[in-house]
Amino acid sequence: MGAFAARRLAALIITMMVVSMLIFAAFEWTPGQVASKMLGPFATPEQVELLTEQMGLNRPAPVRYIEWVGNVLKGDLGYSTYFKTDVNNIIWDRLGNTLLLASIAFAIIVPCSIIFGVAAGMREGSKLDRTISVLSIVTTSVPEFASGVFLATIFVIILEWLPGASTLESGGDWSIASQLVLPVAVMVLFDLGYVVRMVRAAMVDVMMKPYIRTAVLKGLGFRKVVLGHALRNAMVVSLTVILLQINYLVAGVVVVETIFAYPGFGHMILESALSKDTATVEAATLIIVLIVVITQIAGDLGYMWLNPRIRFK
Amino acid sequence: MEQDLKKVHPYLPTLLTDYRTGKLDRREFLRTSTLLGLSAVSAYALAGGTAEADPATGNPLDTQVAEASGGTIRISMRCPGVDNPATFSWVYDSNIVRQTCDYLTRTGVDNVTRPWLLEKWEASEDLKTWTLYLKKGIKWSNGDELVADHVVWNLKRWVDPAVGSSVLGLFKDMLLTEYETGEKDDKGNPKTATKLYADNAIEKVDDYTIRLNGKTSTLAVPENLFHYPALVLHPSENGKFGVNSIGTGAFTLTTYEIGKKAVFKRRDGYWGNPVKIDSVEFIDHGDNASAALNALASKQVHGFYEAQTTQYAALKKMKHVEIHSVSTGQTAAARMQPIHDTWKDPRIAKAMRLALDTNKLLKVAYLGLGAPGEHHHVCPVHPEYADVGFMKQDIAAAKKLLAEAGKPDGFETEIFCKSDPDWEPLCVQAMVQMWKEIGVKVKINVLPSAQYWDIWNQPVAPFAFTTWTHRPLGTMVLGLAYRSNVPWNEAHWSNKKFDELLNKAEGLLDVDKRRVVMADIEKLMLDVGPICIPLWRAFFTPMDKKVKGFKAHPTAYMFAEEWSLEA
Repeated sequence: MGAFAARRLAALIITMMVVSMLIFAAFEWTPGQVASKMLGPFATPEQVELLTEQMGLNRPAPVRYIEWVGNVLKGDLGYSTYFKTDVNNIIWDRLGNTLLLASIAFAIIVPCSIIFGVAAGMREGSKLDRTISVLSIVTTSVPEFASGVFLATIFVIILEWLPGASTLESGGDWSIASQLVLPVAVMVLFDLGYVVRMVRAAMVDVMMKPYIRTAVLKGLGFRKVVLGHALRNAMVVSLTVILLQINYLVAGVVVVETIFAYPGFGHMILESALSKDTATVEAATLIIVLIVVITQIAGDLGYMWLNPRIRFK
Repeated sequence: MEQDLKKVHPYLPTLLTDYRTGKLDRREFLRTSTLLGLSAVSAYALAGGTAEADPATGNPLDTQVAEASGGTIRISMRCPGVDNPATFSWVYDSNIVRQTCDYLTRTGVDNVTRPWLLEKWEASEDLKTWTLYLKKGIKWSNGDELVADHVVWNLKRWVDPAVGSSVLGLFKDMLLTEYETGEKDDKGNPKTATKLYADNAIEKVDDYTIRLNGKTSTLAVPENLFHYPALVLHPSENGKFGVNSIGTGAFTLTTYEIGKKAVFKRRDGYWGNPVKIDSVEFIDHGDNASAALNALASKQVHGFYEAQTTQYAALKKMKHVEIHSVSTGQTAAARMQPIHDTWKDPRIAKAMRLALDTNKLLKVAYLGLGAPGEHHHVCPVHPEYADVGFMKQDIAAAKKLLAEAGKPDGFETEIFCKSDPDWEPLCVQAMVQMWKEIGVKVKINVLPSAQYWDIWNQPVAPFAFTTWTHRPLGTMVLGLAYRSNVPWNEAHWSNKKFDELLNKAEGLLDVDKRRVVMADIEKLMLDVGPICIPLWRAFFTPMDKKVKGFKAHPTAYMFAEEWSLEA
């Protein structure tokens, strides 16, 4: 297990190095852009040149790359040209907001998807299975921008139960908690159906295995068969799918955050990318890749824990 | 009486006679007489009848002010970087700084410009010399008194080419001269820059008096001083603005988070009328139209900076909201840069104009709220607007012009536009359909606003669709956007005849005479100009009925110190 973790850690470091090179190449191949963006549309070419020189943007790319990596390792993520402050001052706050949203959504998605997935998958073709399957397909196939507007129309405009914008400002007598309801609901609706379908498929697969038939035939109660024998094996496949949802919940929520004006990570990436704020986009991309790689390692470790055969290979 | 008037300005008695004989309408009399330095109160008294507007601001007198004071008013508006007010290129940036810093003048919702930080102004008979008298006793928020030195510092900064302020274009002919820097550009042509034409062009007379000694006649000095980047800043902050910046306005900026919010608190010691509300907040909901709409529906905000046409139907249904609207010269221009081969021949640009049915464009792109566009960028609400005949869609004539220009089968090109507000891409799509009829196939390249503002006046976008806000005089927008070599001449259009006519128009106080010159300018623009103007849009914005004292301004400027909040 220790050697395995060490190998994965080494892979993580190599991945991050390659990714950092790609990110840097993609964003800073044309150094003039950074300077002209900072100076605005009326800057003369002389001013752009001067700033390029002051910021050292005219030095060879490898030198600047090494300097950038060094700064990132020291914790200095650079200066945001859009937010006009150090990236560190903005990015952690926004990431925190998104993690808040993501963890609430995750806390709902995981138990619900397991309960509904197992309930549907344990008796394939039953009425319960059909109902859950149809509902999951419907919610997953409605895109977030549609369900966001749909839910807002019902709960904000018609019923007036919830606030329409989730700016995390306490304006207009709405609590912060109430502002989280709609974004979380849209994320859960969109994501839950997919995970339920995956858990159900894994469960159906397991339920057809000979050892389940043996267990049933030897007279074990259905409840014991499902909980004691089927569930753990069904979870081996489902765990990977569930952990992959973390990536979506953190990095893929641009649409939800934009619809509800939520000051999160996705919204920040969108705004900074639109205004060519190189430092912020670079730092955000690095963080997303790090999250993806870490969830993958967590997935592998969880997989080992659930499936002892892998440990001994 | 006449002698008194003559003392203020020699032209005033003539103006009064013109008004009394019906040559001039009431609004134009008020506008021009205040422009010449007559106090608004006297102008209204001379104009007679019952005053329908507050002489100090031009706001209609029926504007109710809620008795109860206090409270916070929240407005949905973008909160971009605002650290360098002189270089602002959109109104919402200035709406933030405007709560803390003031203009020397203010143009009211009635299009009449009045002194604000100024007590009054006087123009010489030839309109070359303008004397600006500051109100005495105005205190900055740090306790300093506002004096002429501060204003001179701001004026000089606005016309400094190194600062890059669009105010420069407004004062270029009056106060500046071009010179060769001695350097050459990429093509080997000598580079030019501008500087004050004389050391005393901007002159401090005494602590409360500033004189602009212009070299050409200029009509719109008071209006120019209300151009949105012309916010008077405290010199000690060196042109920068931020949290706790010093200002003469009613509020202090206490929190600012780019892309999130701006919070202003009422300050003590404000020189103007008592301010009713405790604070005003601008909340950034991004470019997404539904977020702001939902925030208004759930009363998280009281109103918008500006509403979009797609929100109109939903806004109409909100019972707690009133839609304020005002007719304006706000528009967007599809400008073609003649520095590129495609647009070199002016007949091509004219063919593009003739292909458009602007009545239809208004209906398709802006729900018919406004007026059909006229391709010379002078709008019917401007006092000097001349009716030179409406350019109707004429496909046959357009095709003929294309053929004469050597493109009988049309051509292919690309137009850049912004993704929001939504009427802009909608309008571009409709125009593209009309251009197709004359064989011109236009590919649409929609950019997010932030990206669009990077290229709007650059040669990399030979054909693009840019929004222009309302300005009180027709000459103003022409001076900003079409005079040769000014920073905002996005079409890179240069026409000697146009520059001459514009200079002439800017020196004419008499509206009738100015209108004659304007007619020539408008005809010239229709014939060889670089733009298509699809529509004049009415400006509308929603506001909670509890907010009193709010009036939609044709320029979308907001003055929170006039507002109050009903309990």
